[in-house]
Amino acid sequence: MFGQGLIKGLGITFGHLFEKKITQQYPEERPVLPERFKGSFSLRVPKCIACGLCSNACPNNVIKIESEKDENNKKKLTGYKMMAERCLYCGFCVEACPTKALLWNHNFERAKFFREDVNLDLFNSYVPSPEDEKPAKPEKEEETAKPEKEEETAQAS
Amino acid sequence: MLKTQELTLNMGPQHPSTHGVFRCVLNLDGEYITKVVNHTGYLHRGLEKLAEARTYTQFIPYNGRLDYCSGMMNELAYVMTVEKLMGITEEIPERAQYLRVIMSELQRIASHTIYVASFSLDIAGFTGFMYAFRDRDRALDLIEAASGQRMMPNYMRIGGVAADVDENWFSQLQKLLDDMPASLDEYDGLITGNEIFQARVKNVGIVTREMALDIGFSGPNLRASGVDHDLRRDEPYGIYDRFKFDVPLGEQGDTFDRFVVRIKEMRQSVNIIKQAIKDIPEGPIMAKVPKVIKPPVGEAFHCIENSKGHLGFHIVSDGSTKPYRTRIYSPCFVSLGFFPIVAKGQHLMDAVVTLASIDIVLGEVDR
Amino acid sequence: MDIFIKIAGALQDWLMNGMGLSVTASELIATAVWALVAILFILVNLIILVWMERKLGAFFQMRRGPNRLGPAGFLQFPVDIVKVLGKEDIIPAAADKPIYKIASICAFVTTICAFAVIPFAKGMVLEDLNIGIFYFIAIGSTATLSLLMAGISSNNKYSFIGGMRTVAQMISYEIPMAFSLLGVVMMAGSLRLTDIVEAQQNMWFVIPQAIAFIIYFVATIAETNRGPFDLAEGEQELVAGYFTEYSGIRWAIFFIAEYGNLVAVASIATIMFLGGWNAPFGLTFLPPFLWFMIKVYCMIFMFMWVRWTFPRIRIDHLMHFGWKFLIPVSIANIMVTGIGIYVYRMITN
Repeated sequence: MFGQGLIKGLGITFGHLFEKKITQQYPEERPVLPERFKGSFSLRVPKCIACGLCSNACPNNVIKIESEKDENNKKKLTGYKMMAERCLYCGFCVEACPTKALLWNHNFERAKFFREDVNLDLFNSYVPSPEDEKPAKPEKEEETAKPEKEEETAQAS
Repeated sequence: MLKTQELTLNMGPQHPSTHGVFRCVLNLDGEYITKVVNHTGYLHRGLEKLAEARTYTQFIPYNGRLDYCSGMMNELAYVMTVEKLMGITEEIPERAQYLRVIMSELQRIASHTIYVASFSLDIAGFTGFMYAFRDRDRALDLIEAASGQRMMPNYMRIGGVAADVDENWFSQLQKLLDDMPASLDEYDGLITGNEIFQARVKNVGIVTREMALDIGFSGPNLRASGVDHDLRRDEPYGIYDRFKFDVPLGEQGDTFDRFVVRIKEMRQSVNIIKQAIKDIPEGPIMAKVPKVIKPPVGEAFHCIENSKGHLGFHIVSDGSTKPYRTRIYSPCFVSLGFFPIVAKGQHLMDAVVTLASIDIVLGEVDR
Repeated sequence: MDIFIKIAGALQDWLMNGMGLSVTASELIATAVWALVAILFILVNLIILVWMERKLGAFFQMRRGPNRLGPAGFLQFPVDIVKVLGKEDIIPAAADKPIYKIASICAFVTTICAFAVIPFAKGMVLEDLNIGIFYFIAIGSTATLSLLMAGISSNNKYSFIGGMRTVAQMISYEIPMAFSLLGVVMMAGSLRLTDIVEAQQNMWFVIPQAIAFIIYFVATIAETNRGPFDLAEGEQELVAGYFTEYSGIRWAIFFIAEYGNLVAVASIATIMFLGGWNAPFGLTFLPPFLWFMIKVYCMIFMFMWVRWTFPRIRIDHLMHFGWKFLIPVSIANIMVTGIGIYVYRMITN
């Protein structure tokens, strides 16, 4: 009969009328971000060895690294800039980092009024934290922690 | 003495229902179309040329910008072509193969829900749009959890995938798969079964079997015209030969068939993912590929069943780290050629529906 | 209830005796005050309606709708109006300027005029014309003109097509609308709206005239240019139809007129089919005016529900539906009603 589909459609919309709303009320209600979420970058400066692998991996030449050699002929980072205005947020730089100095963080509120403000100066904006000062330790912890986790998941499955 | 004359209407590039920045010049006799001229290129970014200036790996994230509704599958097509070029197709680990299938079918669901949404919006059914987006969001949440981004995932790698997923992810996926049939029934109730909708789309924009083959339709558009062809089944790539699924077909190739075929395809995608998560083995997710990818001199073409049709990459290598030439065969661009033929003689309102029915994404049309 | 009549009487008394004005002048002033009240009524309803439309649309789609300004976002629309007032009034260079400027005002005036005859409760009516329903239909058809003026004077192809569609659609749907009301008029035996309401004290006309009610419902959706018959706007193909070029307050006036029309047709539906201000099942604890408004809003809920569920119909289907289905059925309804009344009279006499 003509009109059956119409009535069914009305029924479906009416069914949703009193349903729980799914909108996320953003500024008050923060989104639950997955662990791998690509928001913005943070650099643990003491860990960085200024190898330049991140800058090589970048498809768009976003990363500008400045370094100088110290007395032991070791490279020392003196500047780390990201031209985020042309960044793809692909994450190749984070993957390329051998010391896990460059990391993603969950800061997604990157909108700025002026175009230049989007760019990141990760070297000068670095806030020292005690964890970063000992470069060797957390890395080892991560390495030891990882296989355990994998075993756990293997057992669970 | 009054004269009657045809009205030339520039539809687009800024127009609510051209799905981006597509422009077509319509000649109207009253509200009936006498001539259509397609104009594309408003979103041209020169992706093929960009590929020549980047290494093989560096071009992967750009694929998400091609057809921004199905990033995973675009990446898969590109990555598989490079693997073919390097001759490592057989070395991809099992788990990575399964993850690729799961991700691309998930992306197919996300892409087809956006089709349902935009199609519903193009006939002014705004509620259907929202319901479809609700489900698309859940699929995108899963893609985000796996890759870190919702629409430009950059998840596929030459030789595997970027990251593994855990049990929690699979349980969320299972929940989505359990809810999906009910959501699809809801679309059927709200949109497909609606008599006004059927009156709008049935017998509109008919593309016969011969026409579809002549134009070069592929994917769901081709199947809606009754041609039984699906690359996943007929020329299986990856591990698609291990799954059992039906290939839904349309009868007469009108816009209604094109819509229904896609809804049916989503059910099949759910089916495929269910089989894949049952069989997925543990193991590595990356093959042993050199850090600097230098394929041997030669060329390769690989084509996969994208959500829009056959997406193919043709890469010519000169032995260096960058491709000599990359050519993207995009299904949307080819499908768009049908519009001037089919829209002729249609009502203006039908033309909008006809254009919406082939599911074009301008990012892919203009590349 | 009588309070409004008393206020009116007191006002007129005061004007005549207190101010020493002649009867004509005092009546003119009283009418002007009533007209202002009608405009205020439209505006108050508009705020509620826009809020309701946004909220309902959101709830049907599992969204929350406006919820920032005021309680549950109720103050969103007043703020929007302030925003619209502050916008630049853009008139296209090639537009037919006098017609372009007057079109939106015309649309609003016809809407206000329609409220002149609507009785909200016993005695609460601006002018209880003896041809009230006829007047309403006549005023309703002039609304077509303003939309056509807007469409053609904009000198925009989308507006032009939108204007053409409006004329075709509204003229075709006025006929079934008027015919559907005719059945009720035959049963009530009067064109005066208050008489029609009085005739429904025992039984609402929606029961014997169910078919007419459905026809009226469908035809008025088309008359008020709401979904699924919002072809004149037709966002997907015509951008915004006849008011594509309008901006700022001129656009807002079209908007206000549209919602004003919605209230008017819902009121007429209430009066003609749902018993006007008569309380259902003898539930007289609410004042008649409130009952009237509850019924009007129930009708408006139906309009909104339909709008947020159905896709837009195609223009040729719309025409076929109007001319080949609604008009024959409404004529048949008149015939059946006539025979029914004749038989009823034969039996009772």
